[in-house]
Amino acid sequence: MLEHDVLVIGAGLAGMRAAIAARAEGASVAIISKVHPVRSHSNAAQGGINAALTDRGDDWEDHAYDTVKGSDFLGDQDAIEVMCASAGQALIDMEHFGVTFNRDDEGKLGTRAFGGQRRARTFFVGDFTGQALLHVMFEQLIKSGVRRYEEWFVTALIEEDGRVCGVTALEIRTGQIYAIRAKTVIFCTGGLGRLFEPSTNALIVTGDGMALAYNAGAQLMDMEMVQYHPTTLAGSGVLISEAARGEGAYLLDKDGNRFMEKYAPNMMELASRDVVSRAEQTEINAGNGVNDCVYLDCRHLGEALIMEKLSQIREIGIDLAGTDMITDPIPIRPGMHYMMGGIKTNVDGLTNLPGVYAAGECACVSVHGGNRLGANSLLDTIVFGQRSGVHAAQACRGEEYIEFNVDETVRQEQRRIQEVIDRPQNGDKVGSVRLGMGGSMNRNLAVYRNDAGMRETIHDLQGLKEKYTKVPVDNKNKVFNTDLVFALELGFMLDCAETIAVSALERKDSRGAQSRTDYPNRDDENWMKHIVASKGEEGPEISFSPVSVTKWTPEERKY
Amino acid sequence: MDVTFKIKRYDPEVENPESYWQDYTVTLDDSSTILDGLIKIREEVDGTLSLRCSCRSSICGSCAMRINGHAGLACKTQARLATDENNVIILEPAGVMPVVKDLVVDFDIFWSKIMAVDPYLKPEGPEPEAEYIASNEAMLHLSEVTACIMCGSCVSDCTVMEVDPTFLGPAALAKAYRFTADPRDGDAKGLSRDRLEALNEASGMWDCTRCGECVQACPKGVAPMDRIMALREQAINSGFDNTLGARHAEAFADSVEHSGQLDELRLVPNTVGMTNLPVLLNMAPEALRAFTHGKLPPIIHKKIENADRVKKLFRRVEDPDRK
Amino acid sequence: MKYAFFPGCVSRGGCPELYPAAKLICERLNIELQEMPGASCTGAGVLQEKNEFLGDALNARTFAMAEALGIQIMTICSTCQGVMSQANRRMKKNPEYLSKINVELAEEGLEYKGTADPKHLLWIIIEDYGLDKLETLITKPLAGIRLAPFYGCYLVRPTEALDFADNPERLTSLERLIETLGATVVDFSGKTRCCGFPILTINEKNSMAMVGKHTAEAKDLGADAMITPCPLCHLNLDAFQPRASAQAQRSIDLPIIHMPQAIGLAMGISPKDMGLQRHIVSTKPLITKLGVPAG
Repeated sequence: MLEHDVLVIGAGLAGMRAAIAARAEGASVAIISKVHPVRSHSNAAQGGINAALTDRGDDWEDHAYDTVKGSDFLGDQDAIEVMCASAGQALIDMEHFGVTFNRDDEGKLGTRAFGGQRRARTFFVGDFTGQALLHVMFEQLIKSGVRRYEEWFVTALIEEDGRVCGVTALEIRTGQIYAIRAKTVIFCTGGLGRLFEPSTNALIVTGDGMALAYNAGAQLMDMEMVQYHPTTLAGSGVLISEAARGEGAYLLDKDGNRFMEKYAPNMMELASRDVVSRAEQTEINAGNGVNDCVYLDCRHLGEALIMEKLSQIREIGIDLAGTDMITDPIPIRPGMHYMMGGIKTNVDGLTNLPGVYAAGECACVSVHGGNRLGANSLLDTIVFGQRSGVHAAQACRGEEYIEFNVDETVRQEQRRIQEVIDRPQNGDKVGSVRLGMGGSMNRNLAVYRNDAGMRETIHDLQGLKEKYTKVPVDNKNKVFNTDLVFALELGFMLDCAETIAVSALERKDSRGAQSRTDYPNRDDENWMKHIVASKGEEGPEISFSPVSVTKWTPEERKY
Repeated sequence: MDVTFKIKRYDPEVENPESYWQDYTVTLDDSSTILDGLIKIREEVDGTLSLRCSCRSSICGSCAMRINGHAGLACKTQARLATDENNVIILEPAGVMPVVKDLVVDFDIFWSKIMAVDPYLKPEGPEPEAEYIASNEAMLHLSEVTACIMCGSCVSDCTVMEVDPTFLGPAALAKAYRFTADPRDGDAKGLSRDRLEALNEASGMWDCTRCGECVQACPKGVAPMDRIMALREQAINSGFDNTLGARHAEAFADSVEHSGQLDELRLVPNTVGMTNLPVLLNMAPEALRAFTHGKLPPIIHKKIENADRVKKLFRRVEDPDRK
Repeated sequence: MKYAFFPGCVSRGGCPELYPAAKLICERLNIELQEMPGASCTGAGVLQEKNEFLGDALNARTFAMAEALGIQIMTICSTCQGVMSQANRRMKKNPEYLSKINVELAEEGLEYKGTADPKHLLWIIIEDYGLDKLETLITKPLAGIRLAPFYGCYLVRPTEALDFADNPERLTSLERLIETLGATVVDFSGKTRCCGFPILTINEKNSMAMVGKHTAEAKDLGADAMITPCPLCHLNLDAFQPRASAQAQRSIDLPIIHMPQAIGLAMGISPKDMGLQRHIVSTKPLITKLGVPAG
């Protein structure tokens, strides 16, 4: 019988941090991931991780305020305070684990400027901070002895008497289905970028955890808050880090003007991401771009700086866009990047389902509210990964496993999966259904939204969900059947897409990443609240949740 | 442009499974990568083709495979730069590691080597309250090695692992160097004695044949072979000078120091020990054949002109006061 | 055409047939050679394990000597070529590093100005001399002879240090030479792999496994001989082939010839003058197939 006190689903930064923390509390812990842990999308974070270090005269309340303002006052201030107050220690922990952070002339941790923050407090490793943190976290995971289920895909949650008590999972290598029993489950499954086409996200980012939790009765919150990153490559949508702007790069229109002057005269290119993306989109819509792009210009930064601090994005520009940022500006445009919304949790990662926790991008505490500041996501994963791990482990003490019929559970799941495999060809393909969804989401749930557009997407999604129930799979084999995995992921994606469209339609104001041309202003009187989506008979059911306000009263947001 | 991908496939579920070639021709943009082509094949032509891929931007390390015979990342290679005169690109699964299905290989051997070098920081003293103080130079140097994304390209093409699966291999040795070179690992001076000792053992740092395949294959500029050479220098400088490899390097250096050239005749005895009869006798057949074929290097080893200048250069550079 | 000839240590030591063969070829090709008797060993990558800076300084001396003569260096060994190219690249990439090196050279009154571009005879023939021109000197094309090219690691990796981007023909230089000589290329997967020479004394089993693998593969594909531009490879592939054969528990018997020897044979020079009788693995079958007197 496969059983563990704590089962962490997802082995990115949040997942591995949670697993290590739970293990340190003495729990039996396992971590399950559909890819090897070092392939997780945390890898792709580039710019850095925020922390206010008091020994340099920084103040975590400053960082908290910047974050609250960045969230357009939708972030829960109690959670933000927890995150910012813990950041210093989280950063030092990572350095002690071995991360090769950049240093200043005194040999202490060095910083760079980043979007939405009035003070440089972003700690970094070149422009591949996420990869650096992820690999060190994996080293620590190895050291901790946590059991790893690598390349195992969670297909469903097991519930008994309304309580989640385990998961069924597909061992991708063999095609076998297993049931794993757990006293607590922590979702650390990341975002849902592949709902949109294009997106900066990797192919594996398909909202699995959000959908699994939602379907088991968990509340999803702030699903309308989808971040479009200002600098993504045309075509592939691959990310070009904010670090470039942090080091001083300019955004230019087709005539070489720094247009941010009009939108954020103080912070310019380093205003919060939603502000910059909107600015770019406005310029592009007005005809001031080239091929639906504007330019990111790093030439004045010089070769030495680029090679030391922005080498990865330079390689990406060369490999994927044929452009060397040392000598030429790069064409970029806003692209879907991050999900502020997710599974609703408290500051300890607990969801509304007993024994079920969530942390990282898949969770919504909420620390990012309507817009996430750059370099706050890496922080979020580590702080809340740790808290969830600790609390989940503590919650297991004295608890028994919940019994269920393992063989029957496995058999039922096998039947369900076999039904998918056995579907006859009907002309549809998983890829084209996904593209249908991705195109519709990118059209109507992007930087600028309106009523008609969102309703169109809701309608499109209904049709796609229909198709999904019958979409066939080419590969009927057992070993490494990625075709099957994609079909299962598509189901998760469609569930999430629905909650996004319905939540966005519900919110009748513009706040943070949600910008409605039909409700262009922020309406604190009626809409300073979280939109919560729960699974109902006929689709997502909306309810509301208040925003925690501890220190900072909402004000007009100017950069 | 139309590109034909000639892919080496393998299906473990048939009776008597064997690798076989399958061609796919797809239309790609000029800026498409090989991975774009594979995803297109998978989504539009043949969903049974198995491969690992995720980020599309050379950071996750999933899509390493042999492209026209040499390992690399499919997402980093532009299709138009990899085609031959018939617009064909040959794709095979990575080498050394056994094939699971199509382009998916079993990474167990890769990870077992990484695990074998204790791949996590091991500082010997107490941890400071705040961060360890370290120079940016040191961190930048380490970041060149931590840039490794564990893609397996180096292992795929390693000429030693191809014939000897017990060799630690380029990825694990580069990872080991990442720690021996970290001022925070090991003792207060940053010396990681235990690691160096373990790496000096059989199948460790001295088994690399310096062929350069790993340097060529690595998509992130980690240059594993260069790190292995740095490990050797560290080992010798830390007093681990009694391995065959270290003795070989010393014997070679001595020869050049004294005569400006390599004295091949004395190299082997100096490496294995002048009195190491069993090993010396082992080489007797070759020595005898060389003698009878007139290939034995001259007993009296000729020095180069002004050999003393070379000697002086050695003395200056190797002066311990200078180090 | 005049070059500063750098024969390396092994071509006059363990493979003494190579040095006179190379000189004879150059004479026939009208390539003038001037030796540098004060030039030292390149370090062969082994010295660099102990002290890379020292190795670079030794090579910088050699470069400076050639600069003083006003001519470029010619190598006849893949290992010499690779080591020199890598050293050169380090010094050219980093002027600060080069000045540190020159501080050492100054003690001898030498200075390396960064203009050296050492080239292997194989590349000189392809790029500077010309295969077309070489073809006019071929009087005894190696018709019907199947040759397997074995480059030697240091002549093909890393491509950055060897300027492959600017000289892409270097990638297939040996194959094109073989075809120009009238022989047929035996393509095999081991052609750019390692002969195992660097680990001969450290891990004999692996070294012999490599020799056995590559020679057996070429032999089974029908090669009459293997041709290599590196005397260190030659030593392992030829002198140690019997041992490799014994370890692999199979016969191999594949003659290994030096690149200049192949050229010489095609130009009608006798096998004896090319030193073919000195090889450990008998070259008689090859000579017989060539249909020429051994000389």
